Amino acid sequence: MNDTTVSATEHRRLRRWLVLRRNLTAYLFLAPALVFFGTFLVWPGLSLFVQTFQTGGVMSPAVFVGTENWERTFADPLVLKTIWNTLRYCLMAIPAVFVIAMIFALALNSISVGQTAFKTMIYYPTLQPILIAALMFTFVLHQDFGVLNIVMRAIAGEPVNFLGNEDLAMPTIAMVEVWKGMGFWALLFLAGIQNLPKDLYHAAELDGAGPVRRFFQLTLPLLKPTFFFSVTFATIVNLQVFDSIFILTDGGPFHSTASTTWYIYRSLFTFSEPGYGATLSFVLVLVVLVLTAIQSYAFRDRR
Amino acid sequence: MNIRILLRSMTMGALAIPVTVGFGLWTSPVQGGGHVSGDITMIKGPHSADEARFEAMIIDDFKAVEPGVNVEFTTYDWANMNAELTAGFASGNPADVLYLVDLIYPNYAEQGALLDMSDLVNSEEWAEERALIPEFAWDLARQGDGTWGVPVLGAVYNIFINKDLLAEAGVLDTWNNSYADMMDAARKTTADGVYGFSVRSRTGDFAFWDWFPYVHNAGADILNDDWSGCGLWGAEAATQFLIDMHEAGVTPPIGSMSTQEQFDLFKGGKIAIYHGETPQIGELNANPPGFDWDVAYAPPGEHGQTVMGNFGILSIASASPNQDAAWEFVKHWASGPQVGRFAEQVNLQVVREDIIADMFADNAAMRKVQQEFVPRVQGIQPHPQILKILQSIWPVAEQAYRGGMTGEQVIERMCAITDEILE
Repeated sequence: MNDTTVSATEHRRLRRWLVLRRNLTAYLFLAPALVFFGTFLVWPGLSLFVQTFQTGGVMSPAVFVGTENWERTFADPLVLKTIWNTLRYCLMAIPAVFVIAMIFALALNSISVGQTAFKTMIYYPTLQPILIAALMFTFVLHQDFGVLNIVMRAIAGEPVNFLGNEDLAMPTIAMVEVWKGMGFWALLFLAGIQNLPKDLYHAAELDGAGPVRRFFQLTLPLLKPTFFFSVTFATIVNLQVFDSIFILTDGGPFHSTASTTWYIYRSLFTFSEPGYGATLSFVLVLVVLVLTAIQSYAFRDRR
Repeated sequence: MNIRILLRSMTMGALAIPVTVGFGLWTSPVQGGGHVSGDITMIKGPHSADEARFEAMIIDDFKAVEPGVNVEFTTYDWANMNAELTAGFASGNPADVLYLVDLIYPNYAEQGALLDMSDLVNSEEWAEERALIPEFAWDLARQGDGTWGVPVLGAVYNIFINKDLLAEAGVLDTWNNSYADMMDAARKTTADGVYGFSVRSRTGDFAFWDWFPYVHNAGADILNDDWSGCGLWGAEAATQFLIDMHEAGVTPPIGSMSTQEQFDLFKGGKIAIYHGETPQIGELNANPPGFDWDVAYAPPGEHGQTVMGNFGILSIASASPNQDAAWEFVKHWASGPQVGRFAEQVNLQVVREDIIADMFADNAAMRKVQQEFVPRVQGIQPHPQILKILQSIWPVAEQAYRGGMTGEQVIERMCAITDEILE
């Protein structure tokens, strides 16, 4: 038996060394990720923040302008309009795509033959580049020759100016994005549903719970972690909506589809105002952070 | 082999290389007649699907006189030109020679991205060539104290008329005598599926080009004389006229068609008075529509009868490491034979006065535009903020075309936006 003893001081010293070594090992393993995080997130974020107090800096040297960009941001009515347009778009697109994707996921879950083929068909729109999607929807929505308008003309007698009407343009863009995104979300929800414990459903069935009750009282509550990820991810992605707007309406008619990202792009590249574009980007980051915090609170575990 | 002989051979060989290269460099310009060398890049938005082939012709001719210069040609996308050009300038390695339109170059000039070419264009050796380009074109290339390029090409925003439709309505000879006659012609030619009149409305389609002649004919412009404030006061009635046109139901439903779709409708014989631009003449000549057509311009206003045009200049990047070669290439591109051939290939106007008489011999519409319309051109004011102002004020007109606003209210709001930007 080893009867070596250590003093209390020595024990504390060894303990501190052990903790330090454990932490150092952990940080060494984390180092590659931290370097990546610092280089591609923290450093650009800080640079962006610094740029909000500058003008120029891309083609000409940066000049410090104090809070001028921030003051302009709060006074610019188009900023508020683009934030409202972006939120309006999110409120239309996210619930719509989730409902449709869930319907597809439930339908796919219930079929056993040809599931792979149907999955491919549903996922197909997600693979389409936005340019192709925009072109396709031109043939669907066009006032004169669009398929939908041919039907509208037959039913109501009047075609609908989907992209040229300020009230309809944003819902139309949301529709295009829903069409493109539903495949992704359907497969995500399907994966979530297929991972739910089967014995709970079996027990509920034995207790006489019908499919509707099983859906609302089992599937939806059990999918809460999936929903939390989905809502957060969808919010972050949709708040940055740009390409469909840029291609289909370029922010028009009269800014009714101008999103925050569209305005950032315009400030940076069309108007050569990197400082103002950086400030708008920072505003968007703040909006994303606030909405994510609200979602985290709403989805918190109340147990 | 003896090591000493090997070392001696290597030394001789090493000495021979610079001597040979030096002799080659000394002799080659003499053989080709050139005096500059190096690699340069030119960037330009495409005016044709065959742009690269047409540019290759210009470059090949240049190589014949300047064999020491290698020119690489590349294009930017018109819709994203600002993004692409800004990225190029920001990289510190932009193209040496840039084709820039008058709408965007002032901003780059103000930020120091372009070379002030005043000394080059005013040099004695180029004085004769310089004199062949009219002063109005040089005005468009000047901003602040500098001259930022050599004006080479122009695109005129003209009207296309369906002569058959106007003749059927009995207004062929009167339709552009006045705004009232234009309205009358539009009403008379509008029938089931046929629109009497069309102008662009979307900001993304640069719709303001079609609005400009009406503004200029009223004696107004975007900026006032000293460019210190809004100059649109006076354009209320002209703007009201365009609002009335939309409210009269003689135009395609507002916002429903892009400029290309409107042009397709015109080619199908469904628009009587269509606002377009001269490169479309090439398409009409290549695929003649089933009706008689012509080019025209808007009726006279209180202060004249102008035509809108926007012009392209050849600039040199201030960061270009080979500005001498770039200037030689600019001079070559802007020379009569080169710019004349290119303009005919892509249906654009030239500004050089020495070649106008011989151009477009087989193209009556282009000849008419070049000889009758270009002298009437009133271009934009090349202010560094002009693009921002235009893109910011246009949504007001876009909204007004849908009704609910008067011409006076439009100008009032546009001026408020303009003054705010200028502040």
